[in-house]
Amino acid sequence: MDVSQYLEIFIDESNEHLQSLNDQIMILEKEPENEDTINEIFRAAHSLKGMAGTMGYKRMQTLTHDMENVFSEVRNGNMKVNSDLVDVLFQCLDALEKYVSNIQQTQDEGTEDNEPIIKALNAFISGEKKQEAAKAEEKKEEPAQAASDSAASTIELADFEKNAVNEAIKKNMHAYQIKVSVDENCILKAARAFLVFKNLEGHGDIVKSVPSVQDIEDEKFDFDFTIVIVTNESYADISGIIKNVSEIKDADGKEFTELFPEEQPAKEEEVKEEKKAEEHAAKPATQAQVPATASSKKAPAAGSKGKAVGRTVRVDIEKLDALMNLVSELIIAKNGLVSVSSEENTDGSIGQKFNEQIEYLETVTTNLHESVMKVRMMPIESVVSKFPRMIRDLSKKLDKKMELYMSGEDTELDRTVIDEIGDPLMHLLRNSADHGLESAEIRKERGKDEVGSIFLDAYQDGNNVVIEVRDDGNGIDVAKVRDKAISKGTITAEQAEVMSDKEIIDLLFRPSFSTSEKVTEVSGRGVGLDVVKSKIEALGGDVEVKTSYGEGSTFTIRLPLTLAIIQALMVKLGDEKYAISLASIQTIEDIPVTDIKYVHAKEVINLRGNVIPLVRLRNLLDVPGQPEESESITVVIVSKGDKMAGLVVDSLIGQMEIVIKSLGKYISINKMISGATILGDGSVALIIDANTLV
Amino acid sequence: MDEVKLLENNSDSQETVQYIVVKIGNEQYGINIKYIDNIVRNQRITRVPKSQKYFKGVINLRGEVMPVMSIRLKLDLDDDEYTDKTRIIIIKIESATIGVIVDQVKEVVTLTEADIEKVQHNPTSENTTGFISAIGKSKGELISLLDIVSLIEEG
Repeated sequence: MDVSQYLEIFIDESNEHLQSLNDQIMILEKEPENEDTINEIFRAAHSLKGMAGTMGYKRMQTLTHDMENVFSEVRNGNMKVNSDLVDVLFQCLDALEKYVSNIQQTQDEGTEDNEPIIKALNAFISGEKKQEAAKAEEKKEEPAQAASDSAASTIELADFEKNAVNEAIKKNMHAYQIKVSVDENCILKAARAFLVFKNLEGHGDIVKSVPSVQDIEDEKFDFDFTIVIVTNESYADISGIIKNVSEIKDADGKEFTELFPEEQPAKEEEVKEEKKAEEHAAKPATQAQVPATASSKKAPAAGSKGKAVGRTVRVDIEKLDALMNLVSELIIAKNGLVSVSSEENTDGSIGQKFNEQIEYLETVTTNLHESVMKVRMMPIESVVSKFPRMIRDLSKKLDKKMELYMSGEDTELDRTVIDEIGDPLMHLLRNSADHGLESAEIRKERGKDEVGSIFLDAYQDGNNVVIEVRDDGNGIDVAKVRDKAISKGTITAEQAEVMSDKEIIDLLFRPSFSTSEKVTEVSGRGVGLDVVKSKIEALGGDVEVKTSYGEGSTFTIRLPLTLAIIQALMVKLGDEKYAISLASIQTIEDIPVTDIKYVHAKEVINLRGNVIPLVRLRNLLDVPGQPEESESITVVIVSKGDKMAGLVVDSLIGQMEIVIKSLGKYISINKMISGATILGDGSVALIIDANTLV
Repeated sequence: MDEVKLLENNSDSQETVQYIVVKIGNEQYGINIKYIDNIVRNQRITRVPKSQKYFKGVINLRGEVMPVMSIRLKLDLDDDEYTDKTRIIIIKIESATIGVIVDQVKEVVTLTEADIEKVQHNPTSENTTGFISAIGKSKGELISLLDIVSLIEEG
């Protein structure tokens, strides 16, 4: 079978299942008895196996199969979940992930058989079996005993059901109560049970089942269920039909021979006469029952999955990019119209209607832009969901106790950012785990909880998304960093003297600077923080660290919500036009020159109690010419976090929606220029990144 | 395009390369035609603060922002003087697309191997000659053939 067309779906779904397995096993380790989790794991493992099988990936299928066996034992209560088992299971998931990534790259699963993992898995099964063989057998006998008792004892029947049985007996039909046992290794109990019902349909009416048909279809039963059936056929035939369904272990039952006490006295002849007619009537009745069960089957199935999965379509990111580009074009075209209209308007020759139409077009483009952006947004969850597992592994590897607390997983970011943010976050978490958290002994000495805490919090702040990685560990030892920087020759001793603590800490973001005494597998090679910084800056964001020695450190990543199109304030400096992202602007003020004060020979203003440093953009950007002398200056107040700065501009042009373009290669751009945009008149304006000026 | 094809067909079986001859100052330079994407008239260039001084800024080329480099400044010549003959040649190399300013675009010449003389690089010579890969001869005139890739790539 040609399955290549399903490959993409296979890869996507496999990854989803693997992620769900990862999550659930984490939960399972903490709550070994959680049945929902075990069932969830079982379902995911089973789908994975099925998919691998369909696609012809035999090794993957084999491994999943063995893993599934383990889960099956766990589910049946024959095996206890312990840390060793979870380790092996995680190894197993890693191996499966490797298969999937191989398949993604080469369409082939590779040749790794992962024998050791399979052996380890099987060892768990056989080991547990031997140990508990005796116990299990005893246990099994007991329920079996109890089961046969229950088979013998008549199950509770409602009045109408009793009537049905009575009727049948009166009609010389047989009514049987049958206990059906499903094989304990059976994977799809519900499906097997369904087959039992289906196969019996032509042979009689199922009057009652315990548990109810719905529960059975939802797999809400152990390994047996009891049905009451009314039929013309002999017991042997019926039980034969049931046993014919594969993986049905046993069908054991009895016949109702005596009428229930509520019986209505009736003559057998009458019954006989009616019998034929009744039989005809019965058939359509059974048939009517089929669609009923079928539909009732679907409803709970959908309901049980009911994690409110949004209706989604998988779209190639390139198609979205194309759409996005078109929207950008549209906005540029619209800006063109706007500038034409404002020019024409000065002649007074263009009417009100033209402006109205332009405003309408503007609304449409803005909405279109927003919708396209939203399509590109993804919850950050898809990145962070692998971290709890990573921290668990690190905890074992580093032999430190630690716990990861996450919040704001539903915060959304642009797809392109999501794709890139994983590595930097991983670096920071590893950093916290390895450098940040102290060993258990030191933590005790310091009177902290033995178990270290790492926090990953994401939230939206205006047009930014903030992700914080925080730990309650050691914090950064500024003195140590300073010594290290001097000994490495990064800075001289004289420089170190005058550097503030913050400047010293910023040294950590320099390439090849690591303070870890020993190089571990986790970190210490000095390729962490500088990579984090450059990656995040490439995404248009920035990263900051706050630390307090002995109490922990916080790394704060700030990322722009959208990458391509922003609302900006256009300002004029000399003859040049610049754009400032509206997101960072607080207010715009006219300040009399006399209000400018000096602190440390730097210009500041006192604005409603806040002392705000002034930034003369003309000087900073080497704008040619001199500003006109005037009694007041126009100041754009921008903020980053809780810090503010006042950008001095010549004049304001107005607010505009701009499309961010890159400046291209080879031209070296100062950090304060974050890109360029094309204005309505076709000229290029540069975008000032106010964040770098605060 | 037809013209180009004709030229190719008429040429000898020898290897030939086409160059666009441009004028910068008093000298004629040749740029290999395979790197040339487009030639546009001079237009408003937006200055980019704090960039290398030989980058004049950026222009809008059909909706894309394109950096523009001054060959004059890169070759340590006098600054450009814009006239109505000034052109921006859009160069497309593997890694980027970039505009370079020239005083004038003269013609397209087809040079055979025999017309091209490799320049012996003198290690002590100034950077300026480093971007000249060879000297071409056409109709009795000398054309300095620019190594445009290293001109752009070398900071």
